[in-house]
Amino acid sequence: MTWYLIRRVGQAAAVVLGVLILTFILIHNEPGSTARAILGLKATPARVALFDHLYGLDKPIYQQFVIYVKNVVHGNLGTSYQLQQPVSTLIAERLPRDAVLLGISTLLALVVGVPMGIYQALRHNMFVDDVLSGTWFTLYSAPDFMEALLLIALVCVQFHWLQPNFPGGITSVGGILADWRALILPVVVLAINTVAGFSQYARSSAIQQLAADYIRVVRAKGVPERLVVLRHLLRNSLLPVVTILGLSLPDIVGGAIIAEAIFNFPGMGLLFWQAALSHDFPILLGTTLIVGVAAVVGNLLADVAYGVLDPRIRYART
Amino acid sequence: MRKTHRLAAAAAAVSLSIVIAACGNSGGKINTGKAVHGTPINGGTVTVAEVGVSPNLIFPLDPSTNSNGYNVNLTEGMWPFLVYIGDGASSAVNPQESLYSSLTYSQNDSVITIVLKPWRWSDGVPITSRDFTFVYNLLKANYNNWLGYTPGLFPVDVKSVLTPNAHTVVLDLKRSYNPQFYTDDQLSLIPLLPQHAWDRTSQNGKVGNYDETSSGAKAVYNFLQKVGTKMSGFATNPLWQVVDGPWKLAAFNSSGYYAWVPNKNYSGPDKPRLTKVEWTPFTDDTAEMNTLRSGTSLDLAGVPANDLKQIPQLEAEGYSVFQVPTPGMAQILPNLWPTGANAAAGPLLRQLYIRQALEYLINRSQLVSKVFGGYADPGNGPVPVSYGKQWDSPLEKAGGPYPYSPAKADALLKAHGWKVVPNGISTCTSPGTGAANCGAGIPAGDQLQFQLLYGSGTAAFDQQNAAIQSSEDAGGIHITLKAEPFDTLVSTTGTCNQQSHPASACNWGLQQFGYIPYTSDPSGAGNFNTDAIGNYGGYASPQMDRLINATEYGSSSAAFFAYEDYAAQQLPWLWIPLQSGVFVYKKNLAGITPTDPFQATLNPESWYYTKPAS
Amino acid sequence: MPGHEASPAGGPDSAAVHALAGASAPVAAVLDGGDVQAGPADRSGLTLRSFWHNRRAMSGVWIVVIMIIFCFVAPLFYRTNLTTVNLNLANNPPGGGHPLGTDDFGTDVLGRLMVGGQSSLELGFAVAIASTVLGALYGAISGMIGGVIDAILMRVVDTLLSVPTFILLLIVASMYSLNLLTIIILLSLLSWPPVSRLVRAEVLSLRTRDFVHAATTMGATHRRILFRHLMPNTFNVFIVTATFAVADSIYALSALSFLGLGPPPPFADWGTMLTNGVNNLFNGYWWQVYPPLIVLVLTVLAFRQIGDACNDLIGGHRGVVVKRRRRRFGLLPMSTRYDDGEPLGDVSLAS
Repeated sequence: MTWYLIRRVGQAAAVVLGVLILTFILIHNEPGSTARAILGLKATPARVALFDHLYGLDKPIYQQFVIYVKNVVHGNLGTSYQLQQPVSTLIAERLPRDAVLLGISTLLALVVGVPMGIYQALRHNMFVDDVLSGTWFTLYSAPDFMEALLLIALVCVQFHWLQPNFPGGITSVGGILADWRALILPVVVLAINTVAGFSQYARSSAIQQLAADYIRVVRAKGVPERLVVLRHLLRNSLLPVVTILGLSLPDIVGGAIIAEAIFNFPGMGLLFWQAALSHDFPILLGTTLIVGVAAVVGNLLADVAYGVLDPRIRYART
Repeated sequence: MRKTHRLAAAAAAVSLSIVIAACGNSGGKINTGKAVHGTPINGGTVTVAEVGVSPNLIFPLDPSTNSNGYNVNLTEGMWPFLVYIGDGASSAVNPQESLYSSLTYSQNDSVITIVLKPWRWSDGVPITSRDFTFVYNLLKANYNNWLGYTPGLFPVDVKSVLTPNAHTVVLDLKRSYNPQFYTDDQLSLIPLLPQHAWDRTSQNGKVGNYDETSSGAKAVYNFLQKVGTKMSGFATNPLWQVVDGPWKLAAFNSSGYYAWVPNKNYSGPDKPRLTKVEWTPFTDDTAEMNTLRSGTSLDLAGVPANDLKQIPQLEAEGYSVFQVPTPGMAQILPNLWPTGANAAAGPLLRQLYIRQALEYLINRSQLVSKVFGGYADPGNGPVPVSYGKQWDSPLEKAGGPYPYSPAKADALLKAHGWKVVPNGISTCTSPGTGAANCGAGIPAGDQLQFQLLYGSGTAAFDQQNAAIQSSEDAGGIHITLKAEPFDTLVSTTGTCNQQSHPASACNWGLQQFGYIPYTSDPSGAGNFNTDAIGNYGGYASPQMDRLINATEYGSSSAAFFAYEDYAAQQLPWLWIPLQSGVFVYKKNLAGITPTDPFQATLNPESWYYTKPAS
Repeated sequence: MPGHEASPAGGPDSAAVHALAGASAPVAAVLDGGDVQAGPADRSGLTLRSFWHNRRAMSGVWIVVIMIIFCFVAPLFYRTNLTTVNLNLANNPPGGGHPLGTDDFGTDVLGRLMVGGQSSLELGFAVAIASTVLGALYGAISGMIGGVIDAILMRVVDTLLSVPTFILLLIVASMYSLNLLTIIILLSLLSWPPVSRLVRAEVLSLRTRDFVHAATTMGATHRRILFRHLMPNTFNVFIVTATFAVADSIYALSALSFLGLGPPPPFADWGTMLTNGVNNLFNGYWWQVYPPLIVLVLTVLAFRQIGDACNDLIGGHRGVVVKRRRRRFGLLPMSTRYDDGEPLGDVSLAS
């Protein structure tokens, strides 16, 4: 097991490096000059040269990459062109907010979606299952921004129950949780997708479990249905859900771009979008890196958890 | 207030004697000065929406690598400029709000005597002429790294600075200047800075007279620049608490949100009545409009062109509306650079008659009414018609030299030997340089087509450019549209002379990316004179240079009209409508109107809540 | 699915996870670099016949067929001028020769809906096919070769999977102006990694089966085994991933347009029509919003239904094939609901 872990961590590091290289190449192939994009139309050649020199853009690309990697290892993710702040500071500010927002919606997915999915599985092919499946499917298939805007049109504009704008002055997690009313709409929009996803997933997984022999054996032994569900079905259906949880980590870290854009929630997603619009490469690179790391870590955690939870899986050595 | 393209020049916002007509003559339905009936009360918070705004520097002097035009929004209320522009609806100098009590030009307009008002900084220390010399010394040593620097002008054109007493500054300039021009464009760029608090080279170092030596001034400037970018300290660093304007910064966060609270020791006349002003950032218009429509959290916000139809609903929600003309010009840039890279479109665009045909085929009045809901300047020439008597020549007021006329465009093209094919490709059938020929560099069979490159992401521009494409097509000029993210556009094109760009970047034919703001007097300096920094299209004409010169260094209206009419006719740029700003504000908020284009929504010291009349 | 929000194009989540739930290969085999022992061999319930009888799948297919007719055949009869801009006609409500009104440019909404749908469907199908082919080849070859090369190839896939598709899409869209072809290429490049993983997992599990051993013993080359034996057995996976790819790519484009980074006019597809219309939602121009929304959701829904139904079928659950017994309360006893015998028909086509 430890050998497996070590190997996996090594693979993870390789993947992270790959992510860095990929994003670096992508970003540095921007058409035209970064300096002119940031400095504007009136940039003189002298100013452009000054900018390039300041940010090390006049060096060859592999050198820039080496410098970047060295900096990253020391915790320096560069400085944002537009905001003039260290990227690591910006990310550190915003990650906790996203943790709250997406954490809550993922929690909802677990607490509401999984039981619903299992319930649906137990009612597989009956009317209830069809209706619920259909509803979730439709909601999941409609574009997020459309759902959000219709919700705003109804809740905010028509009935004035809530504000669609996240208050600008609130930045700390404590503040966010204190003004929880502002969180309702973004969480609902996100939850539509997470709950739909988790419930469908739990449902498929439970259906698969229900077809397995051991369930029949347990039922044949006369165990009451409630215990069949709670003690056997739930636990075994949950294993793949753990996987999905691990796979959700990059999304928690990456923020929800569309929801944040619509509700003006100052999280990672909004930061990323603004950076994309204003060609703020250090932020783009930094965010992608963080998300990539989160994906790798999430994957690793999911695998490990799965191996720990499911005694049938043994990890062979190659 | 869109982020769209407020360039660094927007920082120098003020003008001496432009009188703006109080009511915009476009739109019609909206007043600029509605009397509010009710008793003023003290206190209250106003929340203002800002779209696409993200200041990143609190030190009022921007380095040349930082062209964020919104930094001035942040700092203007705390460290106002020496010359304050905006007096009600007119863009005249406001002597009450300005920091000088008298400004005199003498010795043939080459010596300026400035007497400062006996005001104080927020920490009680008096504002003195030492503060002026502090700024001057910093800029003198660092003008190459100052965004507001125009080559040849302040501070390099100053021979000497004398301070005969604590409140008088005598500037001896190297040559004479038009006082209007110099006050407008130069003195208005200068904020007064607290020498007694900022003249240091490190956060905890002692304050001294470092600025008096060149190396010291550089050290101080660099230190202030550096600490001026640390957002975490904007609202807390004691340096930034020393202000002379009506406001102090209470909160700032990296999403662009900031809050002003009154400077209790403000010496000026307009003491703020509000308790707090919150500037709330939005990345785009949709989120802002959603919040507006929901009715309660925004007190003042702009209405984008696309949503003007919703004004009645907003009024029903308890908002009042006003519009303010945008000071600047909107244009389609033709690429006139003779570099050879613009091989296909260059020779065509360099022909005046082709530019005229292009302009004749733009239905500007339809664009104003359909795309901008009537709230736009019609684009008759280089000066917006709302600028007023002093600057609007009779020709421009009458509609400019090129009202929409497909017939005239057709006649022009045919007269120069083109076979005009509406909705198809027109070709040159009479090459040559004679009066009835196509023109130099245009071979037989050459096709009359151009690519219009523009910044993507704005629905109004998509609509406007598609309409222009259609109307040009109907007249036989084929235009293809290409939209790119604005920053990509800027990074690949921009100023296109041989020194600054490789030929590959000069391949564009027509460009449209927003508008060019005017600083003070709407002269063509910096835009149309040969090799000027803002002359993106490369227009070059000795006659134009002469006329522009005459406006800068002379002061007659006739000279200005001569330049204006010549520019309107010469079409260095193709003129198109410029959207006005339309704003809504809560009905019980007063003092926002009447307002002038340069101060609009930026002077909350004039605002106050009212109790409704019972 | 989690990740729907931040990566609406699906990324590692949508297709992979859906297939995970239904596919027979154990989950861990797909997550990991394949170091896990392969699970029990699959016996797929997906056949042409089971598909035909599956109501969900067929309803999806009918919707898709109707959409194709609507987009490609109807414009031949309902002709509109979609290029000339006439601002005087802009934003008119339905009526006066325009059954669904006009848009910002004065063009007919219904006509634009049809022609825009062509772009959407072309995008969807092209991305589905390209990503499936690329992913299948990559995954199969990697699975066949094994060893160090396999490990390296899979690390590359992991790298691509670690960055949510939408983020990469945003970065590229912010720099270049996009057109249909560029988007197709881009989305295909971003969608094939999950397919390759699934295919590789299938190949790994199938490799151990008898018929492959038999073929090898008889002297079949790698290529022959790959194309004649393994690929047909992985067909199930393709259907699922392809249908989800269609839905996800149409969806990704609409999200991109919403953020202001989609292809500029005159490009029109349902997603861009929707986002343009949504700007006008509060202006009261409902005819610019609901028609594209409905066709978009219906189409995406249809494809996902097909994929989901195939998923269920692959897993051997043919509950919908037999007559349904509807009961509100309690569960049907296991033995009458699930057939523990062989699935009807076998998907392995050749041996």
